[in-house]
Amino acid sequence: MAISGWFVVLVAVGIVPVVVFDSAAAMIAWLAFAIALAAVDLVLAGSPRAVTLAREVPQSMRLGESVRSTLIVTNTGRRGIRGIVRDAWQPSAGAAPTRARVSIPAGERRNVLTTLTPFRRGERRAAHVTIRSFGPLWLVARQATIAEEGVVRVLPPFASRKHLPSRLARLRELDGATSVQVRGQGTEFDSLREYVRGDDVRSIDWRATARRGAQVASASASASAGLVVRTWRPERDRRVVIVIDSGRTSAARIANEPRIDTAFESSLLLAALASRAGDRVDTVIYDRRIRGRIQGAVGAELLNRMVTTMAPIQPELIEMDWAAVPGLVRSVTTTRSLVVLMTSVDAPGASRGLLSVMPQLTKKHLVLVASVTDPDVLEAVTSRGDRTEVYRAAAAERAALDTARVSAALRQLGADVVTGSPEDLPPAVADRYIALKRAGRL
Amino acid sequence: MTFSPPTVPPAGAPGASGRAGSGRAASGPTAAASTTTAPGPAVLTPTVRQGTRRVSFWLVAALFVALVATGALLLVGASDDTTPLSPTSPAPGGTMAVAEVLRERGIDVVVTGSLAETEEAASTNRGSATVLVHDIDDMLEAEQLEALPDLADDLVVIDPSFGMLQALAPGVSAAGTPDDDPLAVSPEASACVLGTTELEGEVSPGGSSYRFTPGPGALAEPDADVGESSSRISLCLASDSDDADDAYSLVRIDTVAGAGGADTDAGTGANSDSGADSGTDTGTDTGTSVTIVGATDALTNGAIADRDNAAFALTLLGANDTLVWYLPSAADVDGPPTPGELTPDWLTPAILLLTATVLAAAFWRGRRFGPLVIENLPVVVRASETMEGRARLYQRGSARLHALDALRIGTIARLATVCGLPPSAGVDTVVAAVAALVASDRTAIRGLLVDGVPRTDADLVRLSDELLALEARVDAAARP
Repeated sequence: MAISGWFVVLVAVGIVPVVVFDSAAAMIAWLAFAIALAAVDLVLAGSPRAVTLAREVPQSMRLGESVRSTLIVTNTGRRGIRGIVRDAWQPSAGAAPTRARVSIPAGERRNVLTTLTPFRRGERRAAHVTIRSFGPLWLVARQATIAEEGVVRVLPPFASRKHLPSRLARLRELDGATSVQVRGQGTEFDSLREYVRGDDVRSIDWRATARRGAQVASASASASAGLVVRTWRPERDRRVVIVIDSGRTSAARIANEPRIDTAFESSLLLAALASRAGDRVDTVIYDRRIRGRIQGAVGAELLNRMVTTMAPIQPELIEMDWAAVPGLVRSVTTTRSLVVLMTSVDAPGASRGLLSVMPQLTKKHLVLVASVTDPDVLEAVTSRGDRTEVYRAAAAERAALDTARVSAALRQLGADVVTGSPEDLPPAVADRYIALKRAGRL
Repeated sequence: MTFSPPTVPPAGAPGASGRAGSGRAASGPTAAASTTTAPGPAVLTPTVRQGTRRVSFWLVAALFVALVATGALLLVGASDDTTPLSPTSPAPGGTMAVAEVLRERGIDVVVTGSLAETEEAASTNRGSATVLVHDIDDMLEAEQLEALPDLADDLVVIDPSFGMLQALAPGVSAAGTPDDDPLAVSPEASACVLGTTELEGEVSPGGSSYRFTPGPGALAEPDADVGESSSRISLCLASDSDDADDAYSLVRIDTVAGAGGADTDAGTGANSDSGADSGTDTGTDTGTSVTIVGATDALTNGAIADRDNAAFALTLLGANDTLVWYLPSAADVDGPPTPGELTPDWLTPAILLLTATVLAAAFWRGRRFGPLVIENLPVVVRASETMEGRARLYQRGSARLHALDALRIGTIARLATVCGLPPSAGVDTVVAAVAALVASDRTAIRGLLVDGVPRTDADLVRLSDELLALEARVDAAARP
């Protein structure tokens, strides 16, 4: 049961008879009158229990977008329901409006529309629906809460997809399809074709030309006829293994974004790029157990499966088990591949586990370590206004020095290190991938 | 049940528009949308019957506890009245025992709280009522005191104040507290006669004592016939000890009414302690008496069983069929009109109604619109917290050299990059390159980059600023 403001007003209006009749009996009579009216109203209110509910929600959405959730309320009772409906979503689902006025005659149904704008990725749930059904006098209401589950999976935003077109263009420049083909770039032998003017003379394959010349013995009229050049294309069908650290350090927020979200962004951009370039991308999200694994997907399905797997994963407050990572990579592929470790490169002590397994990985694979740097640290280095800020700058320098030392150690062990602020890291990883591909190191 | 798409009512149907947040299906579910249909609603809110069943145990338990508590209180008969000498107080200082024993003996004990009540109670039993007055808080005014003797023929005044003595028994004055010896009911010099009963024995000490001084304006001396009325003074309850001269804890003035009231002629000076002559002229129907009692301890619950207290108390108070026990209270005070008298009658109901309104409003706003939806919140750890913590550690420990060295290492690394030196270049190489680039003294550069030791925080800030300035100069020099 619930009451409305009108009932409060009704009780308050009783001050008039109390003053006019100047007696306590008037007050008692008025209260009895108000309660009687309320009782009549309550009896005449439609039952909020006699309803059937159904909900229409998209299965998934990207973080930052808005979707519309439709709740269909069917009145199966004998009386009409006039009142307010609350569709109870979790706070982070960003539901608006949370209350809706409805008027459902008996036997009919109405839609209650709610716009969801979640501000956190993962599974956002609705637990129940509460209906407050008022009587004809709009004084008191019957209220019931009915369990009605709803769920929408909020995927990582993949904001870095804005970098994808430019990186794909650079990838195509590597390809033989574009005019900027440079000899020896990248690259593996693609095919032989006839020389056309403008081709790099260094790419003429004299042996093939000689063979061809023997076949078409005398037909050559022009100077260039019969010359055969080699064409090149970037390496294809290489393996890329992305290992995302979901342990303790990935929970830290940098520029109001957890490290793991930046890692997801970088992985999505890299996967999109690499799958277009013809490489196979496998992703493992790991701390002490495998929390997500995307293997064997190609094309459009790859990104879809990646975001769906990543959506509900939150950082665990446990230490990353680096000793198991080589075995993990071996379980994904045994061939030489690019292993991208999305983790944090911090203090030497915290990175000891990472450093200890690095030789095992670099012996067989090409390893790229991607780490987020804190823009606050870079900013703190240069701001030295007063004593406190100078000490802060010193601590920032020390932190940067630690990162540099670990990075240097990783490079010594044969790994490549990419660092950047949360916004810069995804394109930086993509650029490094393109550079490696251009150099033919995959 | 299966769902057809939501019905779209014809435009202009009542209530079809203008409802915020609700609307008919504007667009059907998309292919990606999931439609869940509950076979029957799982209502979480308990029905009235379920709710009653759920709380019934506690209701019964609460009822049981309340019953037990009420029963226990009734059995114990606890009273919160702790007023001294109150007939309803069971405390050691109260007088409930006397009142109860008097009741058992068939005497109607009426406790009153105001003069009007007392008048009413005494007048219904005129002639056979004793009025006991105990004005513990000095509530009564002079004119009220003058009305006291008219209440009943027998007036017992307990522990009177000065004003009360003046009004009721001029000539009787307070004589302080008696000593610790028991009080003899009938002192050596006089026999104590209350009404028709002559008392013997002794009672507990305590309370106050009085002295009788005949004089101008006072009552006549004991046993003196004055004009047309005669007064007889009985002085009882004196301490046995020698130094208790003339002090008595009970003074009784019997007046045999004449035609003209108390025409108080000047009494002839006489010795006050010349005891009352007993036997003659006692307690006729037309006579009135005023008894001043100072021996209050003898009446209390704690001492009533000692010595001859009980006999004294019953004789004192049990002379008539009715005992009106008058405890003046605030009702007797005749001051300016109280706020309660000034306020109109509707104020109290109006306040009650406002309270009801506030309660209703509280329920209106406080009623929850269904339970909360729980959600696991992520941990919020700012990554720069370690840096801030280290900075505070440096500052608290005044690790100036340590802090400055950290700044220097960063600066040297950046300078080496600007000068085109490899990361492995030594400090001296960097110093030399920088000195050459900015055309400055090598010692000064080295002092800034390596040797200088900050003594104070001001030094530290200065050196840090100089490091920044040097970086800027080298940058400017390297980029023409």
